[in-house]
Amino acid sequence: MNLQIFVNALVNAALIAPPAMAFSLLFGVLKFPNFAIGGYITLGAFAAYTFNVPLGLPLPLATLGAMLFTGFVVWLAHVWVFKPMQDQSAVTLLVVSIALTLILESVVRLFFSADVRGFDIPLERPWKFWGARITREQVEIIACAVVLATGLHVLLRHTRIGRAMRAVADNPMLAAIRGVDAAKITALTTVLCGAIFGLTGVFAGLDLVIEPLVGWNLTIPIFAAAILGGIGSPYGAILGALLLGLAEELTILVLPSTYKIAVGFVIIAIFLLLRPQGLFGTAEIKK
Amino acid sequence: MSAYLVSMATYAGFFIILALALNLQWGLTGMVNFGIAGFYALGAYTSGLLSAKAGWPLGMSIPMAIAAGFAAGGLVALLSMRLREDFLAIVTLGVGEVIRLVVLNEDQITEGPRGLRIEAQPFQSLIAPENYPVFYLGFVAFFVAITYWICERIRKAPMGRTLRAIREDDVVAGVLGKNVFRHRIQIFAIGGGFMGLAGALYAHYSQNISPEVFMPTVAMFIWMSVIVGGAGNNRGLLIGAGTVIMFLEGTRFFGDVLPWLDAETMSSVRIITIGLLLIVTLRLRPRGLLPEPKFTYTKDKIAG
Amino acid sequence: MTEAILSVAGLRSGYGRTVICDDISLQVSAGQITCIIGPNGAGKSTLLKTIAGVVSAIDGSIRVAGVEMAGLPAARVAGSGMAYVPQEANVFRALTTHENLAMGGWQDEGRTQAARDRVYDMFPDLQPLARVPAGNLSGGQRQMVAFGMALMLEPQVLLLDEPSAGLSPLMVGEMFETVRRVNAEGVAILMVEQNALQGLKTAHEGIVMAAGRIAMQGAASELLNSADVSELYLGSRI
Repeated sequence: MNLQIFVNALVNAALIAPPAMAFSLLFGVLKFPNFAIGGYITLGAFAAYTFNVPLGLPLPLATLGAMLFTGFVVWLAHVWVFKPMQDQSAVTLLVVSIALTLILESVVRLFFSADVRGFDIPLERPWKFWGARITREQVEIIACAVVLATGLHVLLRHTRIGRAMRAVADNPMLAAIRGVDAAKITALTTVLCGAIFGLTGVFAGLDLVIEPLVGWNLTIPIFAAAILGGIGSPYGAILGALLLGLAEELTILVLPSTYKIAVGFVIIAIFLLLRPQGLFGTAEIKK
Repeated sequence: MSAYLVSMATYAGFFIILALALNLQWGLTGMVNFGIAGFYALGAYTSGLLSAKAGWPLGMSIPMAIAAGFAAGGLVALLSMRLREDFLAIVTLGVGEVIRLVVLNEDQITEGPRGLRIEAQPFQSLIAPENYPVFYLGFVAFFVAITYWICERIRKAPMGRTLRAIREDDVVAGVLGKNVFRHRIQIFAIGGGFMGLAGALYAHYSQNISPEVFMPTVAMFIWMSVIVGGAGNNRGLLIGAGTVIMFLEGTRFFGDVLPWLDAETMSSVRIITIGLLLIVTLRLRPRGLLPEPKFTYTKDKIAG
Repeated sequence: MTEAILSVAGLRSGYGRTVICDDISLQVSAGQITCIIGPNGAGKSTLLKTIAGVVSAIDGSIRVAGVEMAGLPAARVAGSGMAYVPQEANVFRALTTHENLAMGGWQDEGRTQAARDRVYDMFPDLQPLARVPAGNLSGGQRQMVAFGMALMLEPQVLLLDEPSAGLSPLMVGEMFETVRRVNAEGVAILMVEQNALQGLKTAHEGIVMAAGRIAMQGAASELLNSADVSELYLGSRI
């Protein structure tokens, strides 16, 4: 039973870590907490569902399609909404991002109703080891998360474009002075994050269910992981996700599982109050 | 049809109180609140439970709802006083969600998703049932007037002016003394109290409350009201809240005329439209349709 | 007098409708240090930002080695033979020294390796700090990273906005020494300095700005000895 807690926590972390990294990255370039990520994730889940079930594509291909689709939608949102409004206050952008997430959620509801759905994948018996169970999908989620985190690390640390992304997030004015097209890099970051949110939608559909609120229910845990790890620090987000996953699983031992979302919030509240800069963040980022 | 208008105006009353409260908190102190639905629910369930389950008279349960909102507002403000506004947004949103989750899960007390039935209504025995909706509208209007009057008093008081001046600059706010902090907490708490009042008024009007009413969409509608009206401007806000509620309730009417639109479709279309309007408004008129009077502020983007 | 590497004529600029600098004409000769001094609010920093393309020029011409730069955004000005070092936030704090230098060479990645070696030769102190995030460096070290980053594309003229600002008195002397060393490599320098005395002592040419216009210009030594200048700007510091 004890091992099961760690397995579940690991799956949770694998689900939360990639979008928390993406959220951190996005916060770095846009400088406000983007609540639209809930809508993006829901969109990714339903795009993959559409490719997979009605259109009959195999899941890996449907996943790729969902990532491209979500990336494209996030790019549109950037071009039509966030870029033209980038000089407005963080609160205004926040209100706009909440509106956007509700819009996307409602669009999905309009086309798919609020019914709970699932992907077209064969049901398999979970694997058992030392008394713990894990499904094939969960193993795949963990593997994908590890590959994604590694890929993101390589991109940010060891490529020209990744270095520019960090530079723009750090100091857009100086980046422009050094000849970087900051607007282009920001748009690129946005699309990359969008693709990751799309992938998270697929993961959520595999591990949880596909329904319009799937993204919203993940938003607070994602924020919690990102804040725990020090907002703006993609690596901290991974550890934040692991800690959060563990905390959530431990809570379920004593409280009904519907309180899971509250765990994330309580962690956010405690952390913001005690250590506004997060676990690994240095000084507070002032806008 | 006139019954419909009365009901719409009553709902507008709840919204106006919520919007006035938000405008007090955000417009005056710059402290954002995205947990409006939570404060609203807190008021509704406090008064509803005390009345329906503990048998308290409304003369005590409604003030308790106000007190609960006041205490919750004060606590949130006290704990998150030093947070940046975007983090405060996350904290308040979380407070709202946690309140909703508690209501949803503790169904032995709150009846959870089944909904809580509340029989008691103010002055029930004195008013004939056929006149009651009109009476209740007047009852709500009375509280709207009181709320409006108090908000205007606070806004025009010297402290209100000081708070507005420092709202734009948290560095200044940071070096100001404890006195200012205390006032900001007080104002956030008063706002919370008004939201609790709105919740209680709603609970005894609808007589049936359930967690699904208190979704974060409520926060968007109220923000929409404040933004359309122009932040800091209480008169503009009456128009803003009126417009939003007319839109929300008025579109329900389409459901009767266009039968192929079911309730769920209509609610989705409503949210999409409100959301788009909000985004368009903010893009074109960042200071609202009716900006705060005599207070111009331009953001200096490039520090020389 | 040698040929002008940077020549500005009739320049006017500002924010929105507010004009900050007007009717500015100046020349920076190849290999020379020119120092702009003047009271707070004289428009010195704005002038430098305009030349760098960070603030757009309303009118006038900015030529670098004969090529017109006025109206080009900062991203296009970079790599044109001119490099600008802002006063504040002039390094990427989250990036290491090594990565900061790489960002300096963004526009010509092919040259980065050689250029970086050259910067490390010029600032040997930076070599052991290559893997340290710039945010963790001292003020003086950060200033060196900022200079190094600007030198990556081998500019002919360097624009420095108050390089001594925020440095400890001990570091200020060292910083001006660095400016001289960079200049000795043949790079012309146009700098704005609040520390008028040290600035003019380092410079060949001097410009005094007041109320958005050029009030005086001439050889730095002449300005140092000029009664007006010493009374107005150097007074307490001598």
